[in-house]
Amino acid sequence: MTCRKAKKILPLYAGDDLRPRLLAAVRTHVDSCPACWKELTEYRESMSRLKAAAKAESVPDWSEGEWRALTARFRPADPGEKRPAFLARPRWAAASVLGAFLGLAVLTMLFKDGNLGPRETSTAGEPSVVSLTLVSQETGLQVVWFLDKNFDWKGDEN
Amino acid sequence: MRMNETEKELVEMVLSGRTEAFEPLVTPYRQPLLALAYRLTRNREEALEVTQEALLRAFRSLARYDVSRSFRNWLFQIAANEARDRHRKRARERTAVEDAARDKPPFAGPEAGRERREIRSDILQCLTVLSPREREVFVLRDFEELDIKETARALGCSSISVRVNLSSARRKLREAIRNDFPHLKEGR
Repeated sequence: MTCRKAKKILPLYAGDDLRPRLLAAVRTHVDSCPACWKELTEYRESMSRLKAAAKAESVPDWSEGEWRALTARFRPADPGEKRPAFLARPRWAAASVLGAFLGLAVLTMLFKDGNLGPRETSTAGEPSVVSLTLVSQETGLQVVWFLDKNFDWKGDEN
Repeated sequence: MRMNETEKELVEMVLSGRTEAFEPLVTPYRQPLLALAYRLTRNREEALEVTQEALLRAFRSLARYDVSRSFRNWLFQIAANEARDRHRKRARERTAVEDAARDKPPFAGPEAGRERREIRSDILQCLTVLSPREREVFVLRDFEELDIKETARALGCSSISVRVNLSSARRKLREAIRNDFPHLKEGR
């Protein structure tokens, strides 16, 4: 191995981060080359100084208030929190049940009043228009059909 | 380093709905996480925000945690990602501000002033010679002592990329210590 190649990989060799297949070659070169040995020593020294300084350095810590405020967020109203069984079910299931309940309530009211089905629109004399109201059980949407008794639906054939 | 039995039990408790177990699970890492974020962001308030967001993310995605991995390294990965996201966002904002102020007289801006105030320690000053990626790799590998594979995993890059950046970081730091921080070299 040449000095040029060894110097390229010395920073990794200094921290034992070199691939195993290169280790032996670098070791052999460094042991026989004073210049590379000196450079390797400098790398190792600078790394150990930095590590020591980093350990001795005062780094910030949490105040108890900051930590309490954060850990409070791990409890209520966060995903993964244990919820009552009915709330833990998927939302679409709860929505369907609610929709069915409302639909039943509407149908019950309609039956109670006896006005389910076609309703006659009162006009003077004989009623000529009949209306039919359809109510969606899920959304509560109402569709009203007005049917004219006198509509000449065979008119085109004549 | 894999997770220990106590951690495993605490993870299972949190996943079964006993969320109060999350606090004892992460408490041993509260200071190391903040220190990591501080070395990556060079600002205490930002480090605090990064750590908070990282812990909340960890809480939300605990179900996806692979128990064969070290829990500490998994937390470090989340914190490093969060710090990088913020750094990119800040860089975009800074670019936008610079674009808008191109015609105005030079002004360092509150960001630069804040950064100057925050760079107090020699370690942090040394780290300023590194690019963001080199700093991430160096801090995780040499300060937090993750191995090359774990560092690559934490940063979402290849082992080759980690080696390249690590080599470059150590070379720059050796130069910086020799030229600008001789007292570190002498161990003062």
